[in-house]
Amino acid sequence: MSKELLKIENLKTYFDTWAGVVKAVDGISLEVEEGETLGLVGESGSGKTVTALSVLRIVPRPGKIVDGRILYRGENLLEKKENEMQKIRGKEIAYIFQDPATSLNPVFSIASQLIEVIRRHQNVGKQEAIEKAIELLRLVEIPDPKIRIRDYPHQLSGGMKQRMAVARALSCQPSLLLADEPTTNLDVTIQAQILGLMKNLKKKLGMSMVLITHDMGIVADMADRITVLYAGRVCESASTITIFYSPMHPYTEALLTAVPHLAIKREKLAVIPGTIPNLIEPPSGCRFHPRCKYARATCSEIVPPLEEIEPEHYVACLRAKEIAIRSPLES
Amino acid sequence: MIKYIIRRLLYLIPLFFGILILVFAASRMAGDPVQLMTGLNPHITAEAKQQLREYYGLDKPLYYQFLVYVWKLFNVDLGNAYAIRGGLPVTTLIGQYIWETFKLQLAGLFLSLTISIPIGIISAKKQYSKLDVSVTTTSLLGTCIPVFYMGIIAIIVFSYYLGWLPPFGAHSLFPERYPFGNYMLDELWHMALPTAVLTFALLAPVVLLVRSSMLEVLRQDYILAARASGLSERTVIYKHALRNALIPVVTYIGLYFGGVLAGAPITETVFNWPGVGRLFVEATRRLDFPVIMGITVMITMMTLFANLITDLTYAYIDPRIRLE
Ligand SMILES: Nc1ncnc2c1ncn2[C@@H]1O[C@H](COP(=O)(O)OP(=O)(O)O)[C@@H](O)[C@H]1O
Ligand code: SF4
Ligand SMILES: [Mg+2]
Repeated sequence: MSKELLKIENLKTYFDTWAGVVKAVDGISLEVEEGETLGLVGESGSGKTVTALSVLRIVPRPGKIVDGRILYRGENLLEKKENEMQKIRGKEIAYIFQDPATSLNPVFSIASQLIEVIRRHQNVGKQEAIEKAIELLRLVEIPDPKIRIRDYPHQLSGGMKQRMAVARALSCQPSLLLADEPTTNLDVTIQAQILGLMKNLKKKLGMSMVLITHDMGIVADMADRITVLYAGRVCESASTITIFYSPMHPYTEALLTAVPHLAIKREKLAVIPGTIPNLIEPPSGCRFHPRCKYARATCSEIVPPLEEIEPEHYVACLRAKEIAIRSPLES
Repeated sequence: MIKYIIRRLLYLIPLFFGILILVFAASRMAGDPVQLMTGLNPHITAEAKQQLREYYGLDKPLYYQFLVYVWKLFNVDLGNAYAIRGGLPVTTLIGQYIWETFKLQLAGLFLSLTISIPIGIISAKKQYSKLDVSVTTTSLLGTCIPVFYMGIIAIIVFSYYLGWLPPFGAHSLFPERYPFGNYMLDELWHMALPTAVLTFALLAPVVLLVRSSMLEVLRQDYILAARASGLSERTVIYKHALRNALIPVVTYIGLYFGGVLAGAPITETVFNWPGVGRLFVEATRRLDFPVIMGITVMITMMTLFANLITDLTYAYIDPRIRLE
């Protein structure tokens, strides 16, 4: 078994708003091993982005990490000073945003935004930084890198912008890449190109990756392991094959049923009934109980703990063993 | 970039002529210039009036007079004042007063920007802190007080009660009594009060503008992305955020600059400051149309020029405009 690179234990990140405390991340635990890709899935609003921002400790106000440990190479990031974190961000752990249109600063050229990060973390002169930046653009397969590097973000297409954002994230060869829905805002062909590129680069640079998405199709293709989130908590965590072929959590089952191209054989595309709960006063007990078709009275009373039901297969469901879910893929 | 400048310049030409026509028409609607010139002289004969009319070209058709006015304008000739300072050329008059106006306004603008931009940034960085709440409250109050009122209060407090600063004028009347020994220091001493009032008047709105614009920018993904890249807080705020946050501030300053001369009459009257603002008030009181028109034309040119500078600054800050 390989070594773990990132281990999150019982992370809680709350937003103290006028309306009340939004418990966006409420006790999440997960692990990323060296060299692996972890798929972090869940509906929109389930706390994926907040989890990733917590790792870098850049949760915007009024968000605050209130509990837990985030171990990176065995060291708790929550105990580090701000200037120590600055040396980790972008250098050890990099982040790619969902929307390439807004994640590049519109008033600075690509060159300036790349050089800035390179020079922040590496002791190189300006000329050397420019050469490194051009090399990066080659790496992310941008044509005419010497010309494109002088462009400003608004001069590039969405796909090109995301390549630039990938280049910036990879500029200091991070060990861990947090990719937050990196292709959600791109059209399908570009999506495939960017995912292919990321897969290659991951292998080439030997990084680990947390791939955040709400699209089961993408993780099927990219991830080694999957952690499923629901309303700020982990439902299930296992290898990709296990999640797809022998899921044990009702929410995972519902997610799989809702995947378009996995459901092709089925009569119609299922959608998960109900909406994601209010995180200020979340449902008691199991947070999924208002939408769960297996729910019993106890489900609204007891919080299901995340248990290792089989080796390397973690599930947080009170009835996991008795309901014996069959994978929607096999029907 | 050069193409952009040329386009902006070409766009200014029709605007300028449009305004010129309006100003010219308005001045003629005010009445017969000869009547205005000679109104105080009961002994003037109809014959003399006719001679004056011919002398000033007022017997020619209106469009012809307008063309003459424009032609003279191109030769930096705005005609002579009817009566102010014995009928000096308007350009000479403006030349004598304009620097005093600029001195005051530029000093006020410069001081208020150097104070308000950092305050606005800090206030936004510490949103809802005690500091932010007091800055915001004070600024909101500040925006409610009109300049002339602030000016009068300042004179009462600092000149009348405390006696620290002179209440009006740009210089002591008698050079041998300069309290600080020389002309420069004497002028600075006189400038202090009006400059302070102008600075305060501009401070409040710019603080609020910088703060709100900064808050807006700080919420953007590219700021989070800059943080996620490990950049220092200083680089994130003063490089990535500020450059974007200043875009609306530039507009405001541009508009303000356009309005500087329009606002000058009030400050300059309150402090009896010898600038074009006060000249304008005097000209209005005496219906001295060449002076009124000359100053209006100059205000127009200044406003258009300020617009041009604003556009260029925009283009400098924001590549989306520069490269369209
Ligand atoms: N700035 C914020 N203020 C208040 N609540 C927030 C803020 N940012 C995120 N949240 C809340 O955190 C929850 C999780 O958000 P997020 O992590 O962005 O979800 P995901 O990335 O899974 O779509 C959401 O319910 C959202 O309302
Ligand atoms: S604990 Fe109960 S409500 Fe929650 S997923 Fe399991 S069966 Fe459904
Ligand atoms: Mg998200």
